[in-house]
Amino acid sequence: MALETSPESPAPVRTVSGLLAEWIGRLGGIWIEGQVAQISRRPGMRTLWITLRDTEADLSLSVVAETTVVDVVTPPLTEGQRVVVYGRPEFYAGRGALQIRAREIRPVGQGALLAELERLRALFQAEGLFATERKRPLPFLPRRVGLVSGRASAALRDVTVNARLRWPAVDFEIREVAVQGVAAVAAIVDALADLNAQPEVDVIVIARGGGSVEDLLPFSNERLIRAVVASRAPVVTAIGHEQDVPLVDLVADLRASTPTDAAKRIVPDVAEETHGIAQGRARARRAVERRIVTDAQEVARLRSAGRRNLRRRIDHGLVDIGHLRARLVALSPAATLDRGYAVLRAQSGAVVRDPREVVAGDRLDARVAGGSFTVGVEESS
Amino acid sequence: MARAQGSGTEGMAYEEARAALAEVVAALESGETTLEEALALWERGEEYARVCEEWLAGAQARLNRVEEAPATASD
Repeated sequence: MALETSPESPAPVRTVSGLLAEWIGRLGGIWIEGQVAQISRRPGMRTLWITLRDTEADLSLSVVAETTVVDVVTPPLTEGQRVVVYGRPEFYAGRGALQIRAREIRPVGQGALLAELERLRALFQAEGLFATERKRPLPFLPRRVGLVSGRASAALRDVTVNARLRWPAVDFEIREVAVQGVAAVAAIVDALADLNAQPEVDVIVIARGGGSVEDLLPFSNERLIRAVVASRAPVVTAIGHEQDVPLVDLVADLRASTPTDAAKRIVPDVAEETHGIAQGRARARRAVERRIVTDAQEVARLRSAGRRNLRRRIDHGLVDIGHLRARLVALSPAATLDRGYAVLRAQSGAVVRDPREVVAGDRLDARVAGGSFTVGVEESS
Repeated sequence: MARAQGSGTEGMAYEEARAALAEVVAALESGETTLEEALALWERGEEYARVCEEWLAGAQARLNRVEEAPATASD
């Protein structure tokens, strides 16, 4: 510490305290392994104190943590538990004490495990295996559903029972396999290959009840992940878990929250569909009825327009013919005939203009105003 | 009474009869007809006019019949 002091010119506490705080603050974050000796939590306080003791030597450090950091630890933090703490050393000037400001606390044993999972997650993420564009849609009604789950497990029953409730005719191809322990990965991968080899299998469900992080490890296994990614049929996962999402959930085409939820996703609800069809039918009927009504109105409109038009044309026609007839009469000999004249015509139609044109016994056509009649010649000159 | 000469008006369409009537009137108007022709044209013209009027009266009657009939959905 670059601080010149002597009995004659001592540094005040605040200067020393400030310098210490600054120097310790420069240390940065470190991972510390130890055992929880004591937890001091005060109601209403957002921070709490943990005495972290070395696992072998009789040494300890004060750890201060926000309750939000402590509350997410699973299983919940207890005294005596071994933990790995990530935090920054800091100098608490008020009491001149050194403490570690914790950012994360992990129970020991799970630390390495979680780190490995984190590595795989980053790897798959970089490969784009979690991308939304990769997710395939599920068939509306699969011809056959492949189901991979534990032997006689609750998950198996939940999926099959609930799917049958919705769609009684659903056809399952079930592979009961070990879903935890050393044999699980190989068994599930084989089951997937087997189901994918059946062309009728349109969707595959991988179901398993909840479990601890260790129990669910197979579902984050790289070989299993690759098999799900390569699956011909879309894959639905239904894996119960409390905290960490198994990686298979992230690569699955659909992640169901529970086996019952998976059943809902893989088959339609027959009652719902029936209702939908009935509704569709009723709507179609109403639409046709509406159409008929509007068309009938249109026909009626056109009909009355047609009738009006026809009547107008008939009236015009009558006036027109009346005019033509008037001209016809005016130009014809009708006016002359009206005055009492008659025109005589021979059988040939020729007008008789001279008595010498006829002989006794001839029959002539007499045209007068009112019409025609036949006359006979009695005597000729 | 004046019957149709040459019965050519039977089954004549309205437009046909009207055109023929107009033609007769035009021929009379030309003034180049003899009395015989004028008489014959006049008589034919009357016949055409009768055909036209029958057509129009028939159409009117049909229209009236349709409009007086109760308007049912099937008609």
